Amino acid sequence: MDLALVIQTALNGLANGALYAVIASGFVLVYRSTSVVNFAIAEFMLIGAYLTYTMSLFFPLLVAILLALPLAFIFGVLVERGFVRPLLGRNVVAVIMATIGLAATLDGATLILWGPDQKAMGAADVSQLPKEMPSLAFSLGGVFLSSKAVWSLILALPLAILLVLALKYSRYGVLLRAVSESETAALAMGINAPRVVAVAWGISAVTATIGGAFLAGAAGGGGPGHHLILLGLIVFPVAILGGFDSVPGAVVAGLIIGLIEAFSQLYLESLLPGITQAIPFLIVLLVLLFRPYGLLGQHRIERV
Amino acid sequence: MKMNRRQVLKAGLAASTVYSPWMIARAQARPVKLAAILPLTGAFAFAGNAALDAFRDAADRINDSGGIGGRRFELVVEDDGYDVARGTAAFNRIVQRESPEELVFVYGDSTGLSKALAPEITRLRLPYTATSFSNELADPNTYPTIFVFGPTYNDMAGALLQQIRRQKGRGAKIFLCYSNSEFGRDPIPFIKDRAAKLGFQIVGEEVTPLAIADATPIVTKLRQTQPDFVIMQGYVLTVEPLVVRAAREQGVRATFMGTYYSAELALMQRAGAAADGFIVTYHNAYYYDTTVPAVEQIRALRRSKGRDLSYRTTYYMGSWMAVDVIAEAMRRAHAAGKLTRPGMIEALESLGDYNAGGQVRNMRWVNHRLPFTKLWRANVRDGRFDAITDWVDGSKL
Repeated sequence: MDLALVIQTALNGLANGALYAVIASGFVLVYRSTSVVNFAIAEFMLIGAYLTYTMSLFFPLLVAILLALPLAFIFGVLVERGFVRPLLGRNVVAVIMATIGLAATLDGATLILWGPDQKAMGAADVSQLPKEMPSLAFSLGGVFLSSKAVWSLILALPLAILLVLALKYSRYGVLLRAVSESETAALAMGINAPRVVAVAWGISAVTATIGGAFLAGAAGGGGPGHHLILLGLIVFPVAILGGFDSVPGAVVAGLIIGLIEAFSQLYLESLLPGITQAIPFLIVLLVLLFRPYGLLGQHRIERV
Repeated sequence: MKMNRRQVLKAGLAASTVYSPWMIARAQARPVKLAAILPLTGAFAFAGNAALDAFRDAADRINDSGGIGGRRFELVVEDDGYDVARGTAAFNRIVQRESPEELVFVYGDSTGLSKALAPEITRLRLPYTATSFSNELADPNTYPTIFVFGPTYNDMAGALLQQIRRQKGRGAKIFLCYSNSEFGRDPIPFIKDRAAKLGFQIVGEEVTPLAIADATPIVTKLRQTQPDFVIMQGYVLTVEPLVVRAAREQGVRATFMGTYYSAELALMQRAGAAADGFIVTYHNAYYYDTTVPAVEQIRALRRSKGRDLSYRTTYYMGSWMAVDVIAEAMRRAHAAGKLTRPGMIEALESLGDYNAGGQVRNMRWVNHRLPFTKLWRANVRDGRFDAITDWVDGSKL
């Protein structure tokens, strides 16, 4: 086996996994704080990618991503205020149906706001070439790392880790954990629980925007478009493998699934076409059968 | 036989009713309809909305010039979201709602939907075409009412293989990269078969989803196999830009090739300089080619309606061509007194040298498809595809 190839595949897998990790950690954050499964997470990525695209028409791409983040945060807070908060405390099925409805609404909204045409980052029309992030691609000892992979590793991975640390050690992280344990108790302790929850939704939109921008080609090829919805489905296997209510679990699971996908695409895909797409969902099946609380999720025992 | 006075009066009354100006006016007032099932939402919304834009423009042009023999040309549009189940439901709604005297043609979406509907379309004897160029659909023995308004994916692949023969000859190394979909898999057996006969070597094969997050595993295989050509099939500019950019970044020098749905300027817009030299098949006119009469017709129509004159995509151009051809068949069927579903099939089959304002070579069907296409090369500096061949018969290898 070619060691350089293995290392290269592993690094690229980790780079992709870092994107999955950062998106899934925001998704899990929302679940922890509100017990809402956000079925519109892929549409959050789509909105984030389009916000980045809009900013990229006026600014260099890296600046565009950074400017899109506060807009995404506001978007997340608005979704929580306008859509989620009125539904809290309702039947879980109603909330699930509502987030599915939210997904369809956001899908339609992107079509209305940005139009159906194919787009590329930084290009206002087909006569323009795309804007690119500075190339960080390098080759060392037969190991090649693409610019996209390097950017993912230096932006997404630290962000995911930062999120884990912030949740554990920062004041806001403690507040969020308190709200997720018991919103009533947190309110009784004087914690502004609605604000904490709104911030969780805002952070989720920010992490989805980073994932969406990179998967939409911020560092090489592609553009914002509906294919992000297909890519966004990966969040669910990542979250389930991680334990669904564990942000560190989501980060670890994202990296694992990124690695598995990379090696599967390299070694298994030609033998079993379609296997790479199926593997994350096979993992979900196995996790649900043998370890329903995932890698780092809470062991809940419900007595009925 | 001798008729009495009462019978003569009855016959006269019946004849005057049937041939009365009122009846003729009523028949002429009845619209003639084209139903279109388009992906107006979902992953292919960009193509569906461009097609709808073209359909509306073409319908305006037809009605501005008097309709079809005095009958108004109407569109019946349904969105399928590029989903076979939704498309099937939309088709059933249309055929149940519309009368066969008015609805004489259906334009459908995708290879998957068209294959699913094909038996029912055949049973209804309903003239049909689609956005798909699947080989299976262009078989008049199985599906006598289905037409493919262009070359099939096999013909397109055939044209690419002819180009490989011209550029490299025997021993050329080809890598196949295609989506795990009906659309992606359609021409692959044909390519493998013909490549073997032509002495080409298939050095690698990669099957991917319609959207991928990372092209590195594919490019790694390209670096290992060192192909001369990479044929990409079954994508609509979501995967090609990623692969070609990553490949160039990693020093892969192979010539990239694609078929109709890769032939849009968005390839260059998305892949940037890496797209330079990408070879595609495309069988209609580009909007920037003002020497083509159809382009002038489109511009004149849009100018007269005060509509945007900026670039129209290949999806628009192909849809305009389809409506142009369908309307011409309707006119001929009407002139022959047979503006019916069977009459439309007869008219379509006899269009002969009609070239839709230069948008196709001619309408001489070979098994209900038009096997001619051209090859184009991406020229990033000018932001255009340059024609590198005249019409190529993709079926001749």
